[in-house]
Amino acid sequence: MKNSAPLETACKQYEEDLVLHYYGENGDNERRRVEQHLTSCHSCRRFLGDLQRVLPQMAGAEEMPQAFWDNYYRETVSKLAEQEERKFWWRSLFNPMRTWMAPAFGTVAVAVLVVGLVIGKGNLRLFVEPRGESIPREILADQNQLEFFESMDMLEALDRLENQDDQKTDTTNGESNRAELPGVVA
Amino acid sequence: MADQQQMRDEELVALSQQGDRHCFEILVRRYMEKAYHIAFNFTRDSETAKDLSQDAFLRAYANLKQFNGRSSFYTWFYRIVVNLCLDHARRHRRVAWESLDRMSEEPAEQRQLADSSYAPEEQALAGEAKRRVNETLETMPKKQRAAFLLRNHQGLSIADVAKVMKTTEGTVRVYLHRAVAALRQSLVEFV
Repeated sequence: MKNSAPLETACKQYEEDLVLHYYGENGDNERRRVEQHLTSCHSCRRFLGDLQRVLPQMAGAEEMPQAFWDNYYRETVSKLAEQEERKFWWRSLFNPMRTWMAPAFGTVAVAVLVVGLVIGKGNLRLFVEPRGESIPREILADQNQLEFFESMDMLEALDRLENQDDQKTDTTNGESNRAELPGVVA
Repeated sequence: MADQQQMRDEELVALSQQGDRHCFEILVRRYMEKAYHIAFNFTRDSETAKDLSQDAFLRAYANLKQFNGRSSFYTWFYRIVVNLCLDHARRHRRVAWESLDRMSEEPAEQRQLADSSYAPEEQALAGEAKRRVNETLETMPKKQRAAFLLRNHQGLSIADVAKVMKTTEGTVRVYLHRAVAALRQSLVEFV
């Protein structure tokens, strides 16, 4: 690989075109121009020769055994499957393989309800009925007594109103009497 | 099955976008070697190259719905590979000589079996030249290196390299010229 000849540079204005010429990326005009120049320029010919010798060697890829690629492919496919599984995790809930889970969950739910009722012994009403003011059982037992007490409350209220009226009347009469008496200054 | 193996990339992509993973697996088989070699040229490490290239396939499949078909599948896919490699290079700034070191550690008999046309001195020079090339590739700007590897090692046209790198063909030509000039300069003693 070693060459004792000194390294020669290409003509500056042709260097980029020579690289593109090597890769076959020049347009028709540039290609013709470079080819024409190469016929008369030793440095550029040598530059191109270097590229033709060195660049393909750089591109030489390390050959891997078939087993490596088989393993590579299997791993990639497996990773793709895992990725898809993670993306659609919710599908697993409806997976036919897990149909046993629905009756199992149902049975557990019923069992929990039954156990709750047995332990609570019918005290469920405590949670259902609203808590009102406590009324004595004796009164609740007889509907007539309840009506009686309600009417008593009403009568007491009427009495209170009448007393208030009386007090107001007394006060008003007293003031007018004093005003009518001679020698009394209001 | 045999028909699918013969399908063009665009057809396989269309079926993959509809959820046919088997069609994407055909694309994996079709491009796995190229993807691995791009990653290897960047990282010089077999395991890392395998991980990066496999990650590129996973990302491509996950984002396949975003592929609109305006470019070819392989330029779109190469862009994913190159971006992952550039990202990896940013995060792991190091010169990796493992593959070259492994090569130099091989017993002389094996090396002679592998290539008996070279004398030991020539083999040593070839190893040194390869080391220089890799060193130069490591130190050159990443986009310049990417352009060179895609054109020289992967055989992509300059137009495709420009698409992969989302730049203009003129920029790729400049990258390529500078990369080749730098590499040639690094091989002054060997050419």
